[in-house]
This record gives sequence, C-alpha cells and structure tokens, in this order.
Amino acid sequence: MKKVLAALLATAMALSLVACGGGNNSNGGGSSAGGGAGASDPAPSGGGDKTAIKVIAAEYGQNTKQWWADFQTEFNGSHDSIDLTVEVVSWNDIYTVVNTRVSNNDAPDILNIDVFADYVADDLLLPIQECVSPETYAKMYPAFLEQSNIDGTIWAIPDLASARAMYYNQDILDAAGVAVPTTWDELTEACKKIKEYDSTIYPWGIDMTTDEGQAAFAYYIWNNGSDFTDAEGNWTLNADKNVEAIEYAIGLYNAGYTNTDPATETRYNLQDLFGAGKLAMVIGPNSIPTYIADNYAKANTPEEEQINYAFAAIPSNGGNASVSAGVMDRFMVFDNEDSAEKIEAIKEFFDFFYEDTRYSNWVLMEGFLPATSAGGEIVAASDPSMAPWVEIVGSCKFYPTAKAEWADVKQGVIDVEQQALLGGNVKELLDALQAKIAG
Amino acid sequence: MSTKTPAAPTTKKTQQEPRLPNPQNKKLLRTIEPYIWIAPSIILMAIFIVTPIFKVFQLSMNRVTRAGKLKGFNNFENFTSVIKDPAFSIVLKNTILWTIAVVLISTLLGFILALILNNQFKGRKVARAIVVFPWATTLVIQASAWNFIINKDYGTLNTLLRTLHIIGKNASINFTPTPTAYFAWEIACGIFVTIPFVCFCVLSGLQSIDASYYEAATVDGAGYFQKLFSITLPLVKSSLTVSTVLNIIYVFNSFPIIWTMTKGDPANRTDTLVTYLYKLAFYNGKQGEASAVSVIGFIILLMCASVYMIYTLRKGDEEL
Amino acid sequence: MKKPLSLKKVVLRLLLYFVVLDVCVITLYPYFAMLCTALKNRVEIFSGDTILPVTALWSNFIDIWSRAPMAKYMLNSLLIASGSTIIAMLCGIPAAYALSRMKFKGQTAFLGFVIVSQMFAPVVLLIGIYQVMQVLHLTDSLWGLIFINAAFNQAFTIWLLRGTFMGISADMEQAATIDGCNRIQSMIKVLLPVAAPGIVTTLIFIFINAWNEYTVALCLISTDTLKPLTVGINTFNGYNMIEWQYLFAASIFAIIPVVILFMCIEKNLVSGLASGGVKG
Repeated sequence: MKKVLAALLATAMALSLVACGGGNNSNGGGSSAGGGAGASDPAPSGGGDKTAIKVIAAEYGQNTKQWWADFQTEFNGSHDSIDLTVEVVSWNDIYTVVNTRVSNNDAPDILNIDVFADYVADDLLLPIQECVSPETYAKMYPAFLEQSNIDGTIWAIPDLASARAMYYNQDILDAAGVAVPTTWDELTEACKKIKEYDSTIYPWGIDMTTDEGQAAFAYYIWNNGSDFTDAEGNWTLNADKNVEAIEYAIGLYNAGYTNTDPATETRYNLQDLFGAGKLAMVIGPNSIPTYIADNYAKANTPEEEQINYAFAAIPSNGGNASVSAGVMDRFMVFDNEDSAEKIEAIKEFFDFFYEDTRYSNWVLMEGFLPATSAGGEIVAASDPSMAPWVEIVGSCKFYPTAKAEWADVKQGVIDVEQQALLGGNVKELLDALQAKIAG
Repeated sequence: MSTKTPAAPTTKKTQQEPRLPNPQNKKLLRTIEPYIWIAPSIILMAIFIVTPIFKVFQLSMNRVTRAGKLKGFNNFENFTSVIKDPAFSIVLKNTILWTIAVVLISTLLGFILALILNNQFKGRKVARAIVVFPWATTLVIQASAWNFIINKDYGTLNTLLRTLHIIGKNASINFTPTPTAYFAWEIACGIFVTIPFVCFCVLSGLQSIDASYYEAATVDGAGYFQKLFSITLPLVKSSLTVSTVLNIIYVFNSFPIIWTMTKGDPANRTDTLVTYLYKLAFYNGKQGEASAVSVIGFIILLMCASVYMIYTLRKGDEEL
Repeated sequence: MKKPLSLKKVVLRLLLYFVVLDVCVITLYPYFAMLCTALKNRVEIFSGDTILPVTALWSNFIDIWSRAPMAKYMLNSLLIASGSTIIAMLCGIPAAYALSRMKFKGQTAFLGFVIVSQMFAPVVLLIGIYQVMQVLHLTDSLWGLIFINAAFNQAFTIWLLRGTFMGISADMEQAATIDGCNRIQSMIKVLLPVAAPGIVTTLIFIFINAWNEYTVALCLISTDTLKPLTVGINTFNGYNMIEWQYLFAASIFAIIPVVILFMCIEKNLVSGLASGGVKG
C-alpha cells in the first residue's frame, strides 16, 4: 500500500510539474503582451514594441467563441503593432468576472456587455467618441447611441440589438379556432379557447425569473401605454397603468393560462416548450427562428413533428399601439490611463469590427440585429426573413439603462412580480418599490 | 514497519546520550519544533484565505460602488440596510432550515450506509464506487440534472412514472407546486450529494477498528445494537465529529445547488444567505451589503463553533 | 463461515443486498437520466415521451470534443486536482502530525483557526482572492487554483488526519525513533502506512473537491486553454439556449477520471489496520 501511495503521489507530482510548465509557458510565451498576467501595467513588460489590448466579450451562443478567435487571428495578422486578446465569457458569469476584475483595478480595455451606467458613475469609462474614429461612429443608428447618453456624453456604442415579438404556434391556434390576438382582451379569449381545446398545452408563456423578469414587466406596461419613467425621466413605477398591466399578467397566471412556474422557468424553458409544441404563444427574441431551425428543424425531426409558427406584434391594451421591446448590448472603453498609441489601437479595433461585411457577419452569426444602418441594409438584403426585424428594431423601446437606479429598479420589479405570483397585492408592492427608488 | 520494533528496548540508553550535546538547545528546539511543523499549513492559509477574509471585512465596512470601488467607511450602513430588508429574515430562516436538514439527514443516512458498506459482500467494490458518483459530479451539473428530472413538462421522472403506468398517459405531476416544495427538493439534492462525504469519513473510521473488539463483545453475548453503541459509535466518533462540523460549515455556505435550481426565486423563498449575497453582489451591484451578509453568516457560524469548541474539544483532548 | 448459515443470516444477507441495490439504483438514476438525455436530440429531450432515446445519438459524445477543447480542459482539471492534493497533503500532514504527537502552546487556537478559515464561502472571498493572485501574479495560471484549492482543503486534511493519527498508538514510532529514525523518518515509515485509510480518504476528498471547484476557477482563469472542465463546459450554456445533450455528455466524461482514481485506491480504504467490520 505504501508503494501505491508513493506511486500516486509521484504521478501527481509529475503532473503538477507539467502543470506549472504549461502554465508558465502560456504566460511567458504569449508574445510581448504578457498574456493576462501583466495586469497592473498597461505597457507590455517584455518585448515592448506591441500595444496590448484586452477585450472581454459576452458569449451570445455556440458560435461566439469561434467568431472571436478568428477575429483575433485576423486582427493580429493585419496589425503588426497591436496584440489583441479577446476573452469570451458566458452571460451567466460575466458580471461576476467583470466586477471582480474591476474591483481589483484590472479592468479590460474594451468590454462588451449590456450595462454601462455603473461604470460611468465610478468614472471608469472614457467617452466613447474619444475612442472611435468619426467614420465608424457615424455608422450607428443615432437612436441607439442616445441609449448610452448620460448627461450629454455618449459612453458606449451598440454592438448589436435584439427585438422581441409574439411568437405563436399556428397549428394550435387553428385547431382551437382562434385568430392571432392583437389586444389583451383577445389574448385572454384566445388563452381560454386553447385551454378548452387541449388542457395539456400552455396557452401563454411568462418569464418572471431573476434572469429576465424585467422584460415581462416592460412588455406589459409598455403595451398598456405606460413606462418606467415619465417624460422628464422621473420614475413612475407605481403608475395606475403599470399596476393594471402587472395585474393583467398575474391574472393570466392565476387563471391557469401560463406555464406552471413563471418565477423559476426561464426563457430557455419557454423557448423549448414552444419548440416542442407545448406552448402556444410566447414573447421572445428575434433569435427564436434561428434557434428552432438549428435545434428542432434540423435534428432528424420528421416533417409532421416540426412546429408551424410565425410571429406578430405583441398584443396591447386600451387602443395603444403595440410596442416592441428592444435589448441592446454595448462596447465600452475603460480608462486605464491609456497612451495615445493605445487609443489609436482601440480605434483600429473598432474600425476593424464595424467594417460592414465583418459586422453583418457578426450580427448574423447568432441571429441578432444590426446597430448600424449599413449593417442593417446588408443584413436585410442577405436574409429576407430578417428584413421585418430590421424595421422593428429601429422603432422599439429600450430599458432606461442610462439611469443610475436602473439596477435597483430591475431587481425591484422582478421581486414585485414574484411576490405578486405568490399572492401579493400589486398596487402595494409597486407603491413600496416606488417609495424605495424615488424616495 | 514491524521489522524494527523488537530490537528497540536494548538500544534505548546508548542511543540517547550522544544526541544531546546541549540541553539548552534541545529545549529551545523542542519548543519551536511544533511550530515548524505547522508552519507550511499556516502560511498557505494565511496567504490564500485570511487575506481575502480581511478584504471581506473591509468591504463590509465601506461604501462600495456598483463597479466595486471603495468609497470610505460608512458607519455600518451596509449592516443596517441588510437587516432592515424584510427578505433577510426569510433568508436567515431558510439557511438554518437548509443547514440543519441537510447535515442531520445526510449524517444519519451516510452513517448507516457506511455500516452497510463495511460488510463483506459480493460487489462491495462496485457499490462503493457507485456511492462516490454523486460526490464526483460537479454540483452545478448535479443540480441541473435534478432540475431536469423533476421538471413537470419534460422531466424524466414523470416519463418514468408514465412508462410504469403509475400515472396516466398524458398526466404529469408538478413536483414543485409551491416554493416550499421546491426548497424541499433542493434539500433532498443537498442530502444526496452530502451522503458520500459522510459515508467515507465514517468508513475510514470504521477501518481502524480492531476486529478483536467485536469478537470479544460477541463472546460476552452482546447484540448488534449493543456493539453498535458501545464499540462502533465511540470509535468512529472522531471522524464523525470532523465530518459533521465541516459539513455544517460547507452546507451553510453551499451555493451551486440552490443557485442552479431556483436562484432563490420566487421572491427569496428559496434563498439562503450565500445565494442572497451573491445576488446582492453580482446582480444588484451591492458588494458592501453582500460582504455584510457574509460577515453576519460568519458570526453565526462562529457562535456555533465556539459552543462546539468549548464543549467537545476540551473534552476530546482529555479523552484522547 | 465456519458454521452452517442460519436462517437469520440468510435473511440479513438478502436484506443487505436489497438495501445496497436500492442505494445503487437511486444513486445511479440521475446518471441514467443524464446519459439518456445526452443521447437524445433536442426534440426528443423536450417531448418527454420516452425514457430511452429512440435512436441513440452517440455522435453527441463525439461532437463535444470538437465543439470545445475537452481534452485540454480535462488535463487542466487533472493537474489542478493532483497539484492541490499534493500541496494540501504536504502542508496538512506535518500539521496534523504536530497536533497529534506534540504538545505546544496554541494548539487549540490553531485548530480553531483552521475551522474559522473555512467559514467564508469561496463565493464571498472572490474579490479578495483575486487581489492576492494579482499580487502574486497567479491570475490566469493553474498554480493559483492549485494553491487556493490546497488552502481551502486544509481544514479537512488537518482535522481528519489529526483524528486518524491520534487513534494510532505512538509506541511504534517511539520505538523507531530509538532505532535511530528521526521524527520525519518515523512518521513516513511507521505512522503513515498505518494511517493509510485516513490518508486515502483525505486524498480522495481533496482531489474531488478540487476537481469540482467552479467559482474561483471561473474568476481567475481567462485563457480558454487553461480552464478546468467545470468552467470549460459552460460553453454549452449559452445566451440563448442550454445545450443539455452536450452539457450532460461532457459531465459524464468528467466523472470518469474521479471514479477511476477511486477504484484504484479504494482497496486502501479497506486494508488498513483491521479489515474486520460490523457483521450482523
């Protein structure tokens, strides 16, 4: 037994020696950039003739990692004086990773994420116009840039957008004998009929989880002609129309028209229920067709088992026009006391990224929507199914992410929704939240 | 190891003399020696655990911005705002329930399982290897798998029940109709992954029990339970205590199961302190308050531990 | 087995097998579910119609190797787990030895300190850990994870080994000392072989813990090729979907090394001092 132990220890020891060898090599051998190790000093420690840029990018789907890897090779190949490293982090973990690094003064140079106001509040960012060439900057939809405006300065540029619409399963609707609902009353009626037709089918999908509950909040209040804030930008979370909207959504749940547990069933679950034909209608992102094509249409599925679906505007209430919800992600540049060369290198990065063909490639890769007009044209031309979305995204509403309280509001409305699901009074809950946020 | 022992007594006197040139030095060496032995361990923990712990205390006392920058001492505001949050008492209650239920039940079941696996039987090796499985799987995956199994719409447990004709063809049971039910599943999952740990701690203790004790007891006419309580229990007490004490700490701080299954939803009903503070830190951007929660959790554990220290440790040292 | 088997013995035996079988079935059920899921396509997974896949897609198991550098992830996990085990043992054994064989001031305080050091979840310590690693230039390196895991497993190592060592009489070591062995020699030659079951348990424990560690690795490692398996398989956990079939296929691979390791050293769990057990 002594021998076994000794052998085991020896093997493990040998392995760990290899480990450090490997570790050191990849750190030291990572050209002059110093890999991820040269954290505190932006100037490269060895070699010294290359400007290192570190990017943290969010992982949108199965193709993101490869896309950035190719991008990095291509970029470094054509820019001799720049050493670009892109780290792709999954959405589940990106806040943890970024916050940990930022608190330790190890922020990336460029970050691709959804939020930005917190970093602005801490003076961590550079105004984006200082870091992007005027030509590239001019490519963005002005309305999108406005979403990153705090006190007159634009802090981030959009990298892509997605828009939401209502998806419906045509076969289920036909079988239940209902038309595509456009108003809330029609929606309730449709749910009722679908439930009568087949009680094992969920008529309507709702996601009020910690992941994305704020989206549900937005769908209902926006389509009830209300908003998070008034025209002056003051929070109006407990507006009567908001209370009415959330009560309506909770009412659908209480009537048994929705998926079983909106507080824990995320959009992933809903997507899959919809793809499997167990959910009749759901509000979802424009990436759903790509997703269904990749996973449900392809995978040896017989024709008759594939769902027959389409999308339409989100139903609205009280004669208000339907509002599509937009989600936009951004690039921002951290102020790491960069040298002029580094700023130039960052500009090069953006020029390269937003080069029209490459950019439309980026957007199409995971089925998102472009944030530049040139990109929009290319995408619409190359994929006719995307054309209506390019239209929609130009006119949709966004969360008030530029407001400092947004993070609190987001968690607050999710909590309100979940309390309401458990039987809480929507009015009282929203009053309390409004008092907490605005007071 | 046994070859050298018989020769020992004869050499006793002669060996000791030349080894003590200076009694003063020897005494000094004797005083320092234990500290040299524990030094590597202390250094390791001081660098990689104690320093980060200081950081937590520092964060908990400071106003911390959303991006994680420190903005000075804020008069324990982090603590007061955490305690004032109505969710906090729910979370605290959940944490205590979670810890007690998981530790108690898994210790009991793990102990029984260890007694069973300590028997000689065909296939014991395989059985032992299988019991390691839940432990050898990352908690995130383990929890995802359970979530997948109990899902109402596509869960495999419903499929299994349907195939076995326990429930109707199109029926499906909602295993998690209420937050409490969900929490119970999370506790079950916690127990499931903790049993192997307890089991192997106890097994290692059982191995060092000399079989002659049992033979003697059998000769004396002791029954199974008599032997269990008078021989087995006292002898595995030390490993059982270690596993229980550490289990309390590990389970109290356990994160992946609850995070993967419910993220503490709905409305904190399934949150424990750790998932709650994780949300505070990385979803709400309140590092300061999150650190305050962890300091509170630390104080709770510390109180439990001091009770244990005062009671068991002193007693245990005398005993052994 | 000298006496003929009495009826009671037979019943007990049957009961034993019955319980063991039940335990095994319950334990294996999640893995069975994972395996079946890993072999299905997405439509089948979410239809929930059948337990077994209609046509087993073994290709899922092959796909994961091309979709992510699985071999590299696995090697990293192996290195981290073995490295941490060695370091934790190298630091922990002497400490446990000192605690069980020597009397010194602060003994209880040290034991208390060891326990207290475990009272914060790694999730809580992330920011501090990252800071330490930055100073030591160990961010994005396997060494960082090795040290962290070793440190986090000190408490278990020290406490369990202390208990094991205390349960072993010091007579034989004393005899060895008199024989001319110094303390280190007597510990290695006399004490450790006798303490093998405890040591093996500790070894397995540290290895498994390090193998499964997720949170710290997530924050420390940024280079894809340095990621351990736990973090690496997140690739299948995307923004728009979770690829269950791949996630589970990869997870099944992740169990294999641990089970092999366990099988290899399992017999040391049994062959300690006495192999007698509690017999009914």
